[in-house]
Amino acid sequence: MTMDMMKLLEINSLSYLTGNSRRITVSAVLEEGGVLNVRGPSGVGKTTLLRTLARLREPLEGTVLLKGKPWTGYPPVQWRRMVHYAAQKPVVFDGTVEENLRKPFELAAVKSDLEYNREKAYRLMEQLLLPRGMAEQDARTLSGGESSRMGLIRAVMVDPVILLLDEPLAALDNRAALAVLEFISAWLGEVPGRGVVLVSHAGETGGMPRLTTVELEPVEEGI
Amino acid sequence: MDSGIVPISGFQLALSVFLVVIAGAVSALLRLGLLKSLAWGTVRTFVQLTFIGYVLKYVFSENRLWLISLIIVLMCFIAARASVSRTPNVPHYPVVPAFWSLLASTVLVGFLVVRVIISPEPWYSARIVIPIFGMILGNSMNGIALSLDRLYGEAKARTGEVEGLLAFGATPWEAIRGCVREAVRAGMTPIINSLMVVGVVSLPGMMTGQILGGADPHEAVRYQIVVMLMIAAAVAIGCLLLVGFSYKKLFTPEGALKDEIFHSRRQGS
Repeated sequence: MTMDMMKLLEINSLSYLTGNSRRITVSAVLEEGGVLNVRGPSGVGKTTLLRTLARLREPLEGTVLLKGKPWTGYPPVQWRRMVHYAAQKPVVFDGTVEENLRKPFELAAVKSDLEYNREKAYRLMEQLLLPRGMAEQDARTLSGGESSRMGLIRAVMVDPVILLLDEPLAALDNRAALAVLEFISAWLGEVPGRGVVLVSHAGETGGMPRLTTVELEPVEEGI
Repeated sequence: MDSGIVPISGFQLALSVFLVVIAGAVSALLRLGLLKSLAWGTVRTFVQLTFIGYVLKYVFSENRLWLISLIIVLMCFIAARASVSRTPNVPHYPVVPAFWSLLASTVLVGFLVVRVIISPEPWYSARIVIPIFGMILGNSMNGIALSLDRLYGEAKARTGEVEGLLAFGATPWEAIRGCVREAVRAGMTPIINSLMVVGVVSLPGMMTGQILGGADPHEAVRYQIVVMLMIAAAVAIGCLLLVGFSYKKLFTPEGALKDEIFHSRRQGS
């Protein structure tokens, strides 16, 4: 196996504007089965990086390769299906928790190659310390930590190649945070060729496989 | 039974100026500072309506299809401009799609009404076509403005939801469908409300005008029913077309929400 085959996602001098119009340039590599940890002070553009990687925002310059193929070679819908951005506060749709988990399966791009698997959903819920009975609960009544875990399950259910996770531990107590970290590691190990880009603070990523870190630093270059 | 219009002479018309004097007295008494506007408004009312009276008289007597068509296109353009100026949530002025939406919905519904339902001889009788198309436009204009504004308002308010769906691989249409539904609903709500209360709470201007003009109330009512239903149809089609033309403008060519939608974004860094 060559070194290139180990690279799952390659970010080459990707420049983008942050929410406060600062230009950030990032280069980093995410290895297959590994975690790329994005760090930096708040407001530096970590969320914007994830959204740019998900092609939900347009970059200024630079390119990203997935398994050696430039991102422009993938239709955006297919890209977002494979490189899935899970927001810090996941969107909660009207309905029960299960209806929320099922929601992506209404989309043509998802239902064309995947079917909703209720047993899998329940299993994942239990792994994340959400009792089965919660599936029938109105999703809008979940606490911050519960809905963040529901978002993580929903993200995993659609079977992406890369998960872009924005502070998945932010709203969690220690026990739930530990469960989420184990969950992410297990997901990475389950099928070869997966990867996670994780925005989180130092000290939260202990035990993560093939961890690389990219530190975003503010650049005093107003646009 | 009385029939026919009771004419208003020049002297009688001049007497109506007295009504403005009353309004002016109120303004003067309360120092509203409206006297000048009131006077200017009165002058404009006289001039504009007298002018349009001559235009209509000419158009009715000529009754040429090309002239009527030209007037309708012009009316649609003016209505399109007026409607997009009432959409504070929309960052640009989409006059062109508004024009096409209004033209298509008005011509389609208006043609059905004058050709199939009313069917005067000839079918393009200016006396029928211009007021009918004018009524459709006046209402569609408000409907499409409401729905376009709501489309952008919803997209802003529900950015998280739209983007959440995009992140799962939704097409722009799949992601914005919920907002489109609300937008069309917002455009149609006023006419549906009117259908509910017409004749009970409000007597529509057209019907009142026909009755004042000496028409049999039953006839006036029949016309009014046709008018209400045609407005409902035209508003629905106009809203659907404009929202259909416009939703893609919320997205980049890559199918992501445009930055201008993110102004109200608060979450994350």
